[in-house]
Amino acid sequence: MSDEARLKALMLRGLAGDAKAHAALLSAMSGYLRGYFARRLGAGAADVEDLVQDTLLGIHLKRASYDPALPFTPWAYALARYKLLDHFRRAGVRKTAPLEDAGELFAVENPEEGAVRRDVGKLLSILPKKQRRLVEDVKLTGLSMEEAATRADMSVTAVKVSVHRGMKAMARKVRDEDG
Amino acid sequence: MRTDELIAALAADAPPVSPGGLRGRLAAASLVAAAAVAALVLIWLGMRPDIHIAMRQAAFWIKAGYALALAACGFSLTLRMGRPGARPGPALALAPAVFAALAGLAAAELLLMPESLRAHAVMGASWRVCPLLIMLISAPVFAAAIWALRGMAPTRLRLAGASAGLLAGGVGASVYGLHCQEMSPAFVTVWYSLGVVSCAVIGALLGPRLLRW
Repeated sequence: MSDEARLKALMLRGLAGDAKAHAALLSAMSGYLRGYFARRLGAGAADVEDLVQDTLLGIHLKRASYDPALPFTPWAYALARYKLLDHFRRAGVRKTAPLEDAGELFAVENPEEGAVRRDVGKLLSILPKKQRRLVEDVKLTGLSMEEAATRADMSVTAVKVSVHRGMKAMARKVRDEDG
Repeated sequence: MRTDELIAALAADAPPVSPGGLRGRLAAASLVAAAAVAALVLIWLGMRPDIHIAMRQAAFWIKAGYALALAACGFSLTLRMGRPGARPGPALALAPAVFAALAGLAAAELLLMPESLRAHAVMGASWRVCPLLIMLISAPVFAAAIWALRGMAPTRLRLAGASAGLLAGGVGASVYGLHCQEMSPAFVTVWYSLGVVSCAVIGALLGPRLLRW
């Protein structure tokens, strides 16, 4: 079953008063949200878990604003993105998050489901944004380390280290899933 | 608090949610506010004395229909903007289309009348107060729409605020039409629209302040 069908079914049962389905929905969402915020803020950032909790609370408190006639995932994505932008605003960072497809929130496969499509885009998505861009520049676009360093405003050594680590993380991901 | 504890706590407090609740809340809030301002306007400004004659003229209903159509567009937009991820929908195109239709009618009217009368058809006798009074009458309706929106989950706050402003302005213009004796489509196109658009602009400016959650 697709994310959309599975999550929407849980949402509808939760709206009808099924506490178990509601808990299952929040629990599934917490995984997606953690991945989404970690990709935006950098993995391990201290605020990721706060944002996850804040968004779960939002999903809970604002669930009446979900229109059952519409798909669930765009609703959840818009809510998560709102919380992310609100976080940037609070932090005083002038930063915008591009309005993307709702799939962005659900980009990392749910680990419990195991079925991971291993195309390059998916693998890259496990990397924090900055590192992902470096890997793309060097390994896909074909820029030299020096060019990538200029573009990212980093030292060449830092770029080398970052790209190397990124490749290792992706390799590890592939190995984990094969094993 | 750990995330799984939070989830357990939230799930323990999840009563059923009625599906049409938000629409009902916005409709009820708008109607109550509209009735209140209508009563205030009739007491304060008074009903136009020639209302019986006016109601037999098409121009009266064109004016009322225009204001109500803008209010309906505002209602539809506000409801959608209260739902994360929802598109603004047909009302976003419909409101300008309604304006264009009236503007076309006004242009035709102006072309057909003798040149000496045109200035009066546009300016009427009350152009100085019309937009301001519409904005004033709309204020309580705007407050009601914002209250209803705060119970929803707007994520695009400027657009949501502007929608609430359009709703309030449309209702305000409808109510003001009971008092105002201007009938020319040209007058309505310019001054009523100015009042309603000002409400939407104020809504867009205040949205991010009033609607954050």
